[in-house]
Amino acid sequence: VKRRKKQKIGKGVVLMREVADAMRAEKVLRKEGFDVRLVAPPPHLREGCDLAVEVEITEQPAIERALKEHNVPFLRILPLTGEEEPVDVVSVVDFGREVMVRSANMKMTFDRTTGTIVNISGGGCPDIPYLYSVFVGKNLLKVPAPKDVGTTLCALMLHRAYEECKRIFAGEGRC
Amino acid sequence: MLIVAGTVPVEGMALTFGEARLVGEEVFVGERTILPFQGTGAMLAAACATTQYLGIEQPYALLVGDTGKGEGSRLLYRFLEEKIEECKPTVLAMHYMMPVMGLMRRVVERCLSLPDIHLVADAGAMYAAKAASLAHHFTIMTPDTGEMVFLADENATHPAYIRRHLLDGASGCVVDLIKTAAEKGFLPKVLFVKGVVDYIVVDGQVVATVEEPNIAALEAVGGTGDTITGMVAAFLDGGLESRDACILAARSNRTAGLYANITPSDRIISLIQNLPKVFGDHLCEWSGICFM
Repeated sequence: VKRRKKQKIGKGVVLMREVADAMRAEKVLRKEGFDVRLVAPPPHLREGCDLAVEVEITEQPAIERALKEHNVPFLRILPLTGEEEPVDVVSVVDFGREVMVRSANMKMTFDRTTGTIVNISGGGCPDIPYLYSVFVGKNLLKVPAPKDVGTTLCALMLHRAYEECKRIFAGEGRC
Repeated sequence: MLIVAGTVPVEGMALTFGEARLVGEEVFVGERTILPFQGTGAMLAAACATTQYLGIEQPYALLVGDTGKGEGSRLLYRFLEEKIEECKPTVLAMHYMMPVMGLMRRVVERCLSLPDIHLVADAGAMYAAKAASLAHHFTIMTPDTGEMVFLADENATHPAYIRRHLLDGASGCVVDLIKTAAEKGFLPKVLFVKGVVDYIVVDGQVVATVEEPNIAALEAVGGTGDTITGMVAAFLDGGLESRDACILAARSNRTAGLYANITPSDRIISLIQNLPKVFGDHLCEWSGICFM
């Protein structure tokens, strides 16, 4: 049982309403280069049909985007172990001219007078240095959403920080 | 030999392996130029700055392009699995890689045949090592406070999926998180927890803390954790004990931030460029490594 649990750490499942959707999702994701396989969803996560697609949970945003782009309907994407939902706590550090927002392992800092993203720090997935190169130096209101550019859970956390930065910049937030 | 392995955000860049050298604001690996921005570039530049100051062999860089699709990361894991026994590094520092547990397990299994190797992990490599229950094979890991919560949460597969009650007030209870992670077997031999206070942990026990100079802006600047990992790996390759390598890296990073008068808007290169001066001014006093 312990060995089986170890094998599931890091994995997630895409839950589907129909068996045919699951089979199509597996085909589409494999073609897009994801390492996936068809599985029976574990009893504690069972929702929809009896077939699901096992994925690397770190790649959740990219998988979600690929399924939407190919019009493959799905119910939810969940990790096989641990919490079902990503943590949604953000904290804010006021440096005066700059404001930093933390979300889990990610931090975004912007200039409160101009709205320019001045730094991104934290994280560990390979899309984060890429997002740094795309976002830093650009205006909060003129960049695409990090979750639409990034592919990983780090990008999803950065997206949450970005949303909070935008709220603060718009004067609706905590500052 | 120190190998610094990680991805860089260059679409389609082929796997590159070669000696690295920091010249001005760029790192050269063979004919390639790597800019030391946040991520592997910053880590590699800090490692180069350290080895160049110490006058020891330059680090070897193992780099590959990956903008988040994971294909570069998979090439990197495969290269390490196939070639690590041939390269026989004394230190292998792994960084921004897609956390794929099965591939990390195969790399670590190969490394176990090299008795003198030190494994160092930060970022995605650390996520994979922890999630695959391989942390105890590593000499040093360098999480920040948020990632410490991840190490302490036995079921978390990524720092995004940590239990909220562990996150609440995490910065105030780092020692408790270290204790929890140690009890669950998720710690390497030495842990360097980066934060307002840096904690150096050996065999689950806090053996040192570094909190001065206190430069709040460092947390905002992308790459300030990467430079720590780069310095730790280089000091380790230079023959320092793991604990001492961590303490020196903590002090050097903070002092370089002070020298650079760093602000939340600055780039990491301003800190890296101050490392030689920091070493020249303080390394002898801090460590007994003196050059006449």
